[in-house]
Amino acid sequence: MKAAPFAYVRPSSVAEAVTALAEHEGMARVLAGGQSLVPMLNMRLMRPTAVVDVNRIPGLDTVAIGPEGGSIGSLTRYSTLEASADIAAHLALLTTVTRHIGDRQVRNRGTIGGSLAQADPVGEMPLACLALGASVLVQSVSGTREVPVHELLLGPYWTSLEPDELIVEVRFPTAPSLFAFSEVTRRHNDFAVLAVAVTATRTGEGFTGVRLAASGVEATAILAEDASAVLEGTSLSDAEIAAAVEATVDVADPSDDVRASAEYRVHLLRVHVRRALERLRDGGDRV
Amino acid sequence: MSDKVHVTLTVNGRSVDADVEPRVHLADFLRHDLGLTGTHVGCEQGACGNCTVISDGVALKSCLTLAVQADGSEIETVESLATGDQLSPLQQAFKDAHALQCGYCTPGFLMTITALERRGGALSREELRGELAGVICRCTGYETIIEAAEDHLAEVAARG
Repeated sequence: MKAAPFAYVRPSSVAEAVTALAEHEGMARVLAGGQSLVPMLNMRLMRPTAVVDVNRIPGLDTVAIGPEGGSIGSLTRYSTLEASADIAAHLALLTTVTRHIGDRQVRNRGTIGGSLAQADPVGEMPLACLALGASVLVQSVSGTREVPVHELLLGPYWTSLEPDELIVEVRFPTAPSLFAFSEVTRRHNDFAVLAVAVTATRTGEGFTGVRLAASGVEATAILAEDASAVLEGTSLSDAEIAAAVEATVDVADPSDDVRASAEYRVHLLRVHVRRALERLRDGGDRV
Repeated sequence: MSDKVHVTLTVNGRSVDADVEPRVHLADFLRHDLGLTGTHVGCEQGACGNCTVISDGVALKSCLTLAVQADGSEIETVESLATGDQLSPLQQAFKDAHALQCGYCTPGFLMTITALERRGGALSREELRGELAGVICRCTGYETIIEAAEDHLAEVAARG
């Protein structure tokens, strides 16, 4: 199918972009990588009055990541994230999940900010950003604010962004040294049925700063805070992992859809939370 | 109807000036406005990769790029590969390995592999399969395509 008509706006600054968004009062869409937006336009699932193309705005694709975390510009493409030595060294979970996103062509175009604004309920990037405790810096005509990713994601394709707000940067705190990521897809690099990401730091015999996130079991990716609390400071014994698995299942409320039944999703959640935590205990995943 | 936008771009080394409707994607622009029908449209939703072209050195799906976005860009399509009746080395590798049957997906594979070839670096068979996963073929079962890509990339590497 072909997209319905829309006006095309190509701002050269963030100020111009958010002004255009404000003028269209919620009827404009931001075009970043376009790998989700353009299919929706082509299928006429979306008929915006205007498309605001942010691809020519300079300075939105800076990667500034070090041992203390840092920031990634919202327009940074997945292929850039994938190839970044700084990200591999300090935010290895991001490098790992990026390889599960789309295919080469999609990763050449898709952006980190676009993924968070799209808020696909099984998107890898929202999940990883939750597990890493990231936040987004958003700008509008009235100024800027910082929104933690867990407050950004409200539901499927639904965020707390105002219509005139643009994500300009994704900010990361110091990342824990260990991570594990587990994902189920029906086909290679298809949309996930379910995914689990966990990060932690090993302190002596115990694990601290545990953050366990899961997608595919709720309307959006969730942080399993009770499960994280169960594991905090422990050595991730089999009994502690089993308790964390049940604490995660308690906060999951999956529904049936075309990819899997709710019952199967709960089964998968149990299996993959356990496996991710066992791998974390054994030293975690490597890029 | 929204206003047309003037674009200037380079397609296969040729300078192109045109007025395009914002809603027209690059694949349709190439095919309908420029008559470059080598770029094939399969799904128009980014799933099949048959419409892959190279834009400023990067492989992308031209159905997921608006023609207006290509303003100022350098686009390469499958038509840029052969010289007259002379197949390019990559096309010859496809022919030698029987890497096409109906041929509909072939332009997508050729352009994806061309971008990969320029990026350089050795790839395992598994990595190569990953790099080519964005193009769907319904005839070959992929083995011969992977073979052709492997043969060609090895030859390029050997030539240095």
